[in-house]
Amino acid sequence: MNESMNFSLITSEIFLLCALCVIMIVDLFQRDKERVLTFTLTQASLIVLFVLGFNSLGAERIISFDGHWVTDELATVLKLSIYAITFLALFYARSFISHRNLMRGEYYLLTLFSVLGMMIMVSANSFLVVYLGLELLSLSLYALVALQRDSSVASESAVKYFVMGGLASGFILYGVSLIYGATGSLLIADVAKHFSENSIGLVGQFGLVFIVIGLSFKFGAVPFHMWLPDIYHGAPSSITAFIASVPKIAAFGMTMRLLSEAFGQSISQWASMILIVALLSVILGNVIAVSQNNLKRLLAYSAIAHIGYFLLGVVPGTQESFSAAMYYIIVYALMTLAGFGIVIFMSSENKEYQKVTDLRGLGRYHPWYALLFSIVMISMAGIPPFIGFWPKLEIFRNLIINGYVVEAIVAIAFSVVGLFYYLRVVKEMYFAEAVDAPEISSSRSLKIAISVNCLLLLFLGLLPDSIYQYCLTAFNLMG
Amino acid sequence: MTFQAIVFYSFAAWLIFAAIMVISSKNSVKAALFLVLTFASASAIWLLLEAEFLAISLIVVYVGAVMVLLLFVVMMLDVDYAALRQGFVKKLPIALIIAIAFFVVLYSFLTHGEFSAEKFAEPAAKAADYSNIKALGRVIYTEYFIAFEIAAVILLVAIIAAISLTFRGRRNRKSQNISKQLAANKKNRLKIVKVDPVVSANETSDELAVNQSEKQS
Amino acid sequence: MLENYLPILVFVAIGLGFGVFLELVGYFAAPRKDVEDKLLPFECGFDAFEDARHKFDVRFYLVAILFIIFDLEVAFLFPWAVVFKELSWFAIGAMGVFLGLLVVGFIYEWKKGALEWE
Repeated sequence: MNESMNFSLITSEIFLLCALCVIMIVDLFQRDKERVLTFTLTQASLIVLFVLGFNSLGAERIISFDGHWVTDELATVLKLSIYAITFLALFYARSFISHRNLMRGEYYLLTLFSVLGMMIMVSANSFLVVYLGLELLSLSLYALVALQRDSSVASESAVKYFVMGGLASGFILYGVSLIYGATGSLLIADVAKHFSENSIGLVGQFGLVFIVIGLSFKFGAVPFHMWLPDIYHGAPSSITAFIASVPKIAAFGMTMRLLSEAFGQSISQWASMILIVALLSVILGNVIAVSQNNLKRLLAYSAIAHIGYFLLGVVPGTQESFSAAMYYIIVYALMTLAGFGIVIFMSSENKEYQKVTDLRGLGRYHPWYALLFSIVMISMAGIPPFIGFWPKLEIFRNLIINGYVVEAIVAIAFSVVGLFYYLRVVKEMYFAEAVDAPEISSSRSLKIAISVNCLLLLFLGLLPDSIYQYCLTAFNLMG
Repeated sequence: MTFQAIVFYSFAAWLIFAAIMVISSKNSVKAALFLVLTFASASAIWLLLEAEFLAISLIVVYVGAVMVLLLFVVMMLDVDYAALRQGFVKKLPIALIIAIAFFVVLYSFLTHGEFSAEKFAEPAAKAADYSNIKALGRVIYTEYFIAFEIAAVILLVAIIAAISLTFRGRRNRKSQNISKQLAANKKNRLKIVKVDPVVSANETSDELAVNQSEKQS
Repeated sequence: MLENYLPILVFVAIGLGFGVFLELVGYFAAPRKDVEDKLLPFECGFDAFEDARHKFDVRFYLVAILFIIFDLEVAFLFPWAVVFKELSWFAIGAMGVFLGLLVVGFIYEWKKGALEWE
């Protein structure tokens, strides 16, 4: 169905933009150091967005605004998970930033702007709009990382992020320009039609390679991963938690729009490229994570490995495998948020949490949080009762069904390697000799947020279909 | 050679000359100004390609604004260019090899194979009343509505990001606050202080000194 | 289409020629006496205190970047102004939203005090 200029299809985006303008002006007139009103308005607008998105579940696929915009189940489900995880991430951020001279209205504004960018990315139906959404997201994230102006580590990682992100955007843009040259259109539907009627040709292949490289850069997949650990390490922890989790969901949406929808006919062209990148990420991420002592770096390398598993889900190119990849990326975002949530939780007012060994004694002095953190780690490792297991299982199942048996075995073998470093964190909490009780955050909202987040990993793991059914409907796989 | 070709080659020569001066001039401010000349000649070449909007926005945005920013940055950073130039001669051979290889690849792409000039027909020259600014204007605000508004949001984020990253709050301005001046009254401006009586005339200067040292201690 | 731009080329040529001409006149007509003292640094009779190039305040940068943002806005306004008479109300509304968003940004920077100089 094609409708033009139907503004009811962009209600959420319009609402968020209006809310942003209001919050911006309200924040200007605030004298409150804790920014309670800004925070409340931000969270309230996320809740409204969630309700708006929830009501539009199950709507039919409509292409609007002269083919530049699409509203479908995929976009809606991805947006819902973006709102939910951002909501949680802001609770984590609140007490962290108030002690670190980061409690400024811009923190919330830039977060909301990046949410708007992500919404545009998942709903875009033309290369131009995808790119603009990506830039909106990236620009807000660069600024968020650099927000801690007096910290030289944060500034350095912001510069690295900016340069690498700019390079990746350049790759994508160059690829898009070649595709435009080959097909004469920026609309994804037109590009897909062109390539289903004509062979992809050298120009198209060139464009595709550039786009795949750009996407891999954005995901931080090996061999384009070198920026990722430094940035996750250098950025303030609450911002790392955000940039490591939510934007990946939007990047998944972008991958679907670009690779599956525009290049659905030439899947053999990109599947092999993605396969190499995915396997390298799984291998390198897991192996390097073993030797990390800093929990943030450990989680960064584990993120690389997770991106590898996720990309393995994209490789077979069937609707089932895409929905498994979608399931994986949403679960990954939830787990990573909890993972960096540990880092935030263990960083008290004037101390930055750094080493894995700082968790020593947690099992003895704070058994509840030790239990929660064990859930996070075991879930990340992919052990059954927790949620991390199910999407991994789906990914491997899809790989084997589609004949990628060797690749699946390699990936499984390296997730055993992964088990080692996740369990090392658990071991430090319970079995290592503690000198004295580790400090934990005293903020009540943070305690509630991390408990909710970790228990979600358990309950969703007990009800694996709860998220997965939405992923299946997003790809029209449910009746 | 047509008139158009003469114009093209003269601007192309200017461009190459200016670009070489950008990387070879010793003074960074001069290099930035040569970059302005590079942009201006590039804009002329774009105009010859009938991309008038790009040519004009290159002048307005790059020459008019980005170069000003670049000049400020060059002056703000105070980079030691002598140190940056060290090893220029040593690395020159590698740089030359890369440059030549790049040139060969580009040249072979443009002359052979799928990207070669024969594959693309030369577009006919546009009529005198054709304007691609008008063509752009007809679609950008309707067909590309979404993209256009996102551009506005990106500019808004740029404002917020620039302010939040470089602005460090209001400084103490020494300006007149009229309402504060009018609100002033005798009570909060004048303070009556009890002062010790004047030293009497019969005290000697020695006693005075003793008195003062006692007071101080 | 290019013939419309011929006047600009003529302007460029005249500007260039005039500039070069004046330089040449200055070069050939001005009297020159090369004295070594002219090359000495001079600062009100003292030796120079410091290098003439010193660091600029970061505030210059802020002003410049805010200027670029509004300059880009002008780049978007330009085609709009050219085809204004042909545009639908929708397109005029679209520009209204565009400008509205930037006005919000302008209020923001004004109220923050980013436009103030001491």
